[in-house]
Amino acid sequence: MAALVRISSVCHRGVSPLLFRSSSLIRPLAVQKKDRDCPYSISAKIHATPSNYAGSGSKAASLHWTGERILSIVLLGLAPVAYYYPGPAVDYTLAAALTLHGHWGLGQVLTDYVHGDFKIKMANAGLFLLSTVTFAGLCYFNYHDVGICKAVALLWSK
Amino acid sequence: MCQFYTCLKNMWFLCEMSKFWAKNTRLNRPVSPHISIYKWSIPMMMSISHRGTGVALSSGISAFALAALVLPESYPYYLDLIHSMTFGPQFLAFSKFALAFPVAYHTFNGIRHLAWDLGKGFKIPEVYRSGYIVVALTVLTSIGLATM
Repeated sequence: MAALVRISSVCHRGVSPLLFRSSSLIRPLAVQKKDRDCPYSISAKIHATPSNYAGSGSKAASLHWTGERILSIVLLGLAPVAYYYPGPAVDYTLAAALTLHGHWGLGQVLTDYVHGDFKIKMANAGLFLLSTVTFAGLCYFNYHDVGICKAVALLWSK
Repeated sequence: MCQFYTCLKNMWFLCEMSKFWAKNTRLNRPVSPHISIYKWSIPMMMSISHRGTGVALSSGISAFALAALVLPESYPYYLDLIHSMTFGPQFLAFSKFALAFPVAYHTFNGIRHLAWDLGKGFKIPEVYRSGYIVVALTVLTSIGLATM
Protein backbone atom coordinates (compact mmCIF):
# COMPACT_ATOMS: atom_id res chain seq x y z
CA MET A 1 0.00 0.00 0.00
CA ALA A 2 2.81 2.40 0.84
CA ALA A 3 4.31 1.78 -2.60
CA LEU A 4 1.11 2.82 -4.32
CA VAL A 5 0.84 5.99 -2.26
CA ARG A 6 4.41 6.85 -3.09
CA ILE A 7 3.94 6.44 -6.81
CA SER A 8 0.74 8.46 -6.95
CA SER A 9 2.20 11.29 -4.87
CA VAL A 10 5.21 11.40 -7.16
CA CYS A 11 3.02 11.30 -10.26
CA HIS A 12 0.90 14.21 -9.18
CA ARG A 13 3.97 16.38 -9.01
CA GLY A 14 4.87 15.27 -12.52
CA VAL A 15 8.53 14.80 -11.62
CA SER A 16 10.72 11.89 -12.67
CA PRO A 17 10.80 9.75 -9.55
CA LEU A 18 14.34 8.48 -9.89
CA LEU A 19 15.87 11.93 -9.52
CA PHE A 20 14.12 12.84 -6.30
CA ARG A 21 13.46 9.53 -4.54
CA SER A 22 16.46 7.95 -2.89
CA SER A 23 14.62 5.10 -1.23
CA SER A 24 13.08 3.54 -4.32
CA LEU A 25 13.59 0.10 -2.77
CA ILE A 26 10.06 0.08 -1.43
CA ARG A 27 8.42 0.13 -4.82
CA PRO A 28 7.81 -3.26 -6.45
CA LEU A 29 10.16 -3.99 -9.32
CA ALA A 30 7.37 -4.52 -11.83
CA VAL A 31 6.27 -0.92 -11.50
CA GLN A 32 9.63 0.81 -11.77
CA LYS A 33 9.78 1.00 -15.51
CA LYS A 34 6.20 2.25 -15.70
CA ASP A 35 6.54 5.28 -13.46
CA ARG A 36 8.71 7.04 -15.97
CA ASP A 37 5.62 7.50 -18.13
CA CYS A 38 3.83 8.75 -15.02
CA PRO A 39 0.28 8.44 -16.33
CA TYR A 40 -2.49 9.43 -13.90
CA SER A 41 -3.99 5.96 -14.39
CA ILE A 42 -0.94 4.16 -13.01
CA SER A 43 -2.90 3.05 -9.95
CA ALA A 44 -5.50 1.61 -12.33
CA LYS A 45 -2.76 -0.38 -14.04
CA ILE A 46 -1.57 -1.81 -10.72
CA HIS A 47 -5.11 -2.71 -9.70
CA ALA A 48 -6.18 -5.98 -11.31
CA THR A 49 -9.91 -5.34 -11.82
CA PRO A 50 -10.80 -4.31 -15.37
CA SER A 51 -11.96 -0.69 -15.38
CA ASN A 52 -15.31 -1.45 -16.99
CA TYR A 53 -16.27 -3.32 -13.81
CA ALA A 54 -15.35 -0.51 -11.45
CA GLY A 55 -18.37 0.64 -9.45
CA SER A 56 -20.81 -1.73 -11.18
CA GLY A 57 -21.30 -3.97 -8.11
CA SER A 58 -23.62 -3.51 -5.19
CA LYS A 59 -22.60 -2.55 -1.67
CA ALA A 60 -24.04 -5.74 -0.22
CA ALA A 61 -20.71 -7.38 0.57
CA SER A 62 -19.29 -4.25 2.13
CA LEU A 63 -22.37 -3.71 4.27
CA HIS A 64 -22.29 -7.34 5.32
CA TRP A 65 -18.70 -6.92 6.48
CA THR A 66 -19.57 -3.85 8.51
CA GLY A 67 -22.59 -5.63 9.97
CA GLU A 68 -20.38 -8.50 11.07
CA ARG A 69 -18.05 -6.14 12.93
CA ILE A 70 -20.87 -4.23 14.59
CA LEU A 71 -22.47 -7.49 15.72
CA SER A 72 -19.12 -8.63 17.16
CA ILE A 73 -18.89 -5.46 19.21
CA VAL A 74 -22.50 -5.84 20.37
CA LEU A 75 -21.77 -9.39 21.47
CA LEU A 76 -18.67 -8.21 23.31
CA GLY A 77 -20.75 -5.68 25.21
CA LEU A 78 -23.43 -8.26 25.99
CA ALA A 79 -21.08 -10.35 28.12
CA PRO A 80 -20.78 -7.94 31.07
CA VAL A 81 -24.46 -7.00 30.69
CA ALA A 82 -25.40 -10.67 30.96
CA TYR A 83 -23.30 -10.98 34.09
CA TYR A 84 -24.64 -7.91 35.90
CA TYR A 85 -28.22 -7.85 34.57
CA PRO A 86 -29.34 -11.42 33.84
CA GLY A 87 -32.93 -11.84 32.70
CA PRO A 88 -35.21 -12.55 29.74
CA ALA A 89 -34.27 -9.41 27.79
CA VAL A 90 -30.58 -10.33 27.83
CA ASP A 91 -31.42 -14.01 27.27
CA TYR A 92 -33.24 -13.37 24.01
CA THR A 93 -30.75 -10.75 22.85
CA LEU A 94 -27.93 -13.17 23.56
CA ALA A 95 -29.76 -15.93 21.67
CA ALA A 96 -30.14 -13.69 18.62
CA ALA A 97 -26.63 -12.24 18.71
CA LEU A 98 -24.91 -15.58 19.29
CA THR A 99 -26.88 -17.31 16.54
CA LEU A 100 -26.31 -14.56 13.99
CA HIS A 101 -22.61 -14.20 14.83
CA GLY A 102 -22.21 -17.97 14.44
CA HIS A 103 -24.27 -17.99 11.24
CA TRP A 104 -22.18 -15.29 9.62
CA GLY A 105 -18.95 -16.85 10.90
CA LEU A 106 -19.79 -20.29 9.53
CA GLY A 107 -20.88 -18.59 6.32
CA GLN A 108 -17.35 -17.24 5.92
CA VAL A 109 -15.91 -20.70 6.55
CA LEU A 110 -18.16 -22.14 3.83
CA THR A 111 -17.19 -19.38 1.43
CA ASP A 112 -13.55 -20.22 1.98
CA TYR A 113 -13.71 -23.98 1.59
CA VAL A 114 -16.76 -24.84 -0.51
CA HIS A 115 -16.50 -24.39 -4.27
CA GLY A 116 -18.85 -24.96 -7.16
CA ASP A 117 -22.21 -23.25 -7.63
CA PHE A 118 -24.39 -26.19 -6.57
CA LYS A 119 -22.27 -27.15 -3.55
CA ILE A 120 -22.22 -23.54 -2.36
CA LYS A 121 -25.99 -23.33 -2.61
CA MET A 122 -26.49 -26.61 -0.74
CA ALA A 123 -24.01 -25.72 1.99
CA ASN A 124 -25.60 -22.34 2.57
CA ALA A 125 -29.06 -23.89 2.66
CA GLY A 126 -27.85 -26.37 5.26
CA LEU A 127 -26.30 -23.58 7.29
CA PHE A 128 -29.49 -21.57 7.15
CA LEU A 129 -31.42 -24.58 8.44
CA LEU A 130 -28.90 -25.13 11.25
CA SER A 131 -29.02 -21.50 12.34
CA THR A 132 -32.81 -21.45 12.28
CA VAL A 133 -32.99 -24.57 14.46
CA THR A 134 -30.34 -23.13 16.77
CA PHE A 135 -32.23 -19.90 17.26
CA ALA A 136 -35.51 -21.77 17.75
CA GLY A 137 -33.89 -24.05 20.30
CA LEU A 138 -32.36 -21.17 22.25
CA CYS A 139 -35.66 -19.29 22.30
CA TYR A 140 -37.44 -22.45 23.43
CA PHE A 141 -34.86 -22.82 26.19
CA ASN A 142 -35.32 -19.21 27.22
CA TYR A 143 -39.09 -19.56 27.34
CA HIS A 144 -39.66 -23.04 28.76
CA ASP A 145 -36.50 -23.54 30.75
CA VAL A 146 -34.23 -21.44 32.95
CA GLY A 147 -32.77 -19.22 30.20
CA ILE A 148 -29.19 -18.75 29.01
CA CYS A 149 -27.93 -16.47 31.81
CA LYS A 150 -29.34 -18.67 34.54
CA ALA A 151 -28.03 -21.77 32.80
CA VAL A 152 -24.47 -20.44 32.86
CA ALA A 153 -24.88 -19.33 36.47
CA LEU A 154 -26.18 -22.77 37.49
CA LEU A 155 -23.39 -24.53 35.65
CA TRP A 156 -20.78 -22.43 37.39
CA SER A 157 -22.36 -22.82 40.83
CA LYS A 158 -21.68 -26.56 40.84
CA MET B 1 -28.67 -14.90 2.07
CA CYS B 2 -29.90 -15.79 -1.47
CA GLN B 3 -30.27 -12.16 -2.49
CA PHE B 4 -26.83 -11.38 -1.16
CA TYR B 5 -25.45 -14.20 -3.22
CA THR B 6 -27.21 -13.12 -6.41
CA CYS B 7 -25.71 -9.66 -5.94
CA LEU B 8 -22.27 -11.14 -5.55
CA LYS B 9 -22.70 -13.30 -8.64
CA ASN B 10 -22.83 -10.20 -10.75
CA MET B 11 -19.42 -9.23 -9.61
CA TRP B 12 -16.51 -10.06 -11.81
CA PHE B 13 -14.20 -11.66 -9.29
CA LEU B 14 -16.71 -14.24 -8.14
CA CYS B 15 -17.44 -15.13 -11.76
CA GLU B 16 -13.75 -15.63 -12.34
CA MET B 17 -13.42 -17.74 -9.19
CA SER B 18 -16.28 -20.00 -10.21
CA LYS B 19 -14.70 -20.49 -13.62
CA PHE B 20 -11.37 -21.26 -11.97
CA TRP B 21 -12.82 -23.91 -9.69
CA ALA B 22 -15.04 -25.42 -12.36
CA LYS B 23 -12.14 -25.79 -14.77
CA ASN B 24 -9.69 -27.14 -12.24
CA THR B 25 -12.03 -29.68 -10.70
CA ARG B 26 -13.02 -30.83 -14.19
CA LEU B 27 -9.40 -31.32 -15.18
CA ASN B 28 -8.76 -33.01 -11.80
CA ARG B 29 -5.50 -31.13 -11.43
CA PRO B 30 -3.32 -31.91 -8.40
CA VAL B 31 -2.83 -29.13 -5.89
CA SER B 32 0.71 -28.05 -4.99
CA PRO B 33 1.62 -28.76 -1.37
CA HIS B 34 1.06 -25.68 0.76
CA ILE B 35 0.14 -26.24 4.40
CA SER B 36 2.06 -29.51 4.37
CA ILE B 37 5.35 -27.80 3.51
CA TYR B 38 5.13 -24.17 4.69
CA LYS B 39 6.73 -23.48 8.04
CA TRP B 40 4.06 -22.89 10.69
CA SER B 41 4.21 -19.56 12.49
CA ILE B 42 2.48 -18.30 15.63
CA PRO B 43 0.18 -15.95 13.66
CA MET B 44 -0.82 -18.84 11.38
CA MET B 45 -1.59 -21.11 14.31
CA MET B 46 -3.55 -18.42 16.08
CA SER B 47 -5.54 -17.65 12.98
CA ILE B 48 -6.68 -21.20 12.41
CA SER B 49 -7.31 -21.57 16.15
CA HIS B 50 -9.62 -18.57 15.97
CA ARG B 51 -11.55 -20.32 13.23
CA GLY B 52 -11.39 -23.64 15.07
CA THR B 53 -12.71 -22.24 18.35
CA GLY B 54 -15.40 -20.38 16.43
CA VAL B 55 -16.63 -23.49 14.68
CA ALA B 56 -16.42 -25.53 17.90
CA LEU B 57 -18.33 -22.95 19.93
CA SER B 58 -20.97 -22.57 17.24
CA SER B 59 -21.39 -26.33 17.05
CA GLY B 60 -21.66 -26.47 20.83
CA ILE B 61 -24.37 -23.83 20.88
CA SER B 62 -26.27 -25.60 18.10
CA ALA B 63 -25.96 -28.92 19.92
CA PHE B 64 -27.24 -27.27 23.10
CA ALA B 65 -30.19 -25.73 21.26
CA LEU B 66 -31.02 -29.05 19.61
CA ALA B 67 -30.84 -30.82 22.94
CA ALA B 68 -33.18 -28.23 24.45
CA LEU B 69 -35.71 -29.00 21.73
CA VAL B 70 -35.37 -32.77 21.85
CA LEU B 71 -34.73 -33.79 25.47
CA PRO B 72 -37.80 -34.23 27.66
CA GLU B 73 -36.50 -33.03 31.05
CA SER B 74 -35.43 -29.56 32.16
CA TYR B 75 -31.92 -28.15 32.32
CA PRO B 76 -31.52 -28.32 36.12
CA TYR B 77 -32.47 -32.00 35.95
CA TYR B 78 -29.73 -32.83 33.48
CA LEU B 79 -27.24 -30.60 35.24
CA ASP B 80 -27.84 -32.44 38.53
CA LEU B 81 -27.60 -35.73 36.64
CA ILE B 82 -24.18 -34.83 35.25
CA HIS B 83 -23.12 -33.43 38.61
CA SER B 84 -23.99 -36.70 40.35
CA MET B 85 -21.90 -38.59 37.80
CA THR B 86 -18.77 -36.46 38.06
CA PHE B 87 -15.48 -37.67 39.46
CA GLY B 88 -14.72 -34.95 41.98
CA PRO B 89 -14.05 -31.22 42.14
CA GLN B 90 -10.98 -31.46 39.90
CA PHE B 91 -13.14 -32.80 37.10
CA LEU B 92 -15.57 -29.93 37.53
CA ALA B 93 -12.77 -27.37 37.56
CA PHE B 94 -11.25 -28.94 34.47
CA SER B 95 -14.63 -28.91 32.67
CA LYS B 96 -15.06 -25.25 33.48
CA PHE B 97 -11.57 -24.59 32.18
CA ALA B 98 -12.31 -26.60 29.02
CA LEU B 99 -15.44 -24.54 28.40
CA ALA B 100 -13.94 -21.18 29.30
CA PHE B 101 -10.77 -21.66 27.24
CA PRO B 102 -12.25 -21.54 23.72
CA VAL B 103 -14.65 -18.75 24.71
CA ALA B 104 -11.81 -16.68 26.17
CA TYR B 105 -9.46 -17.35 23.26
CA HIS B 106 -12.06 -16.53 20.61
CA THR B 107 -13.09 -13.38 22.50
CA PHE B 108 -9.59 -12.00 23.02
CA ASN B 109 -8.40 -12.92 19.55
CA GLY B 110 -11.66 -11.44 18.26
CA ILE B 111 -10.70 -8.11 19.84
CA ARG B 112 -7.30 -8.45 18.15
CA HIS B 113 -9.13 -8.93 14.84
CA LEU B 114 -11.27 -5.85 15.47
CA ALA B 115 -8.11 -3.83 16.08
CA TRP B 116 -6.80 -5.02 12.70
CA ASP B 117 -10.11 -4.02 11.13
CA LEU B 118 -9.45 -0.52 12.40
CA GLY B 119 -6.07 -0.69 10.69
CA LYS B 120 -4.03 -1.00 13.85
CA GLY B 121 -1.25 -3.41 14.76
CA PHE B 122 -0.21 -4.79 11.38
CA LYS B 123 3.56 -4.48 11.83
CA ILE B 124 5.04 -7.93 12.29
CA PRO B 125 6.43 -7.31 15.82
CA GLU B 126 3.01 -5.93 16.79
CA VAL B 127 1.28 -9.00 15.36
CA TYR B 128 3.43 -11.27 17.50
CA ARG B 129 3.13 -9.09 20.58
CA SER B 130 -0.66 -8.87 20.42
CA GLY B 131 -0.72 -12.60 19.78
CA TYR B 132 1.26 -13.37 22.93
CA ILE B 133 -0.97 -11.03 24.93
CA VAL B 134 -4.07 -12.84 23.66
CA VAL B 135 -2.66 -16.23 24.64
CA ALA B 136 -1.61 -14.96 28.08
CA LEU B 137 -5.00 -13.37 28.72
CA THR B 138 -6.75 -16.51 27.55
CA VAL B 139 -4.84 -18.77 29.93
CA LEU B 140 -5.25 -16.38 32.89
CA THR B 141 -8.95 -15.82 32.25
CA SER B 142 -9.65 -19.52 31.79
CA ILE B 143 -7.86 -20.40 35.02
CA GLY B 144 -9.64 -17.56 36.80
CA LEU B 145 -13.05 -18.66 35.53
CA ALA B 146 -12.35 -22.32 36.32
CA THR B 147 -11.73 -21.48 39.95
CA MET B 148 -14.94 -19.47 40.32
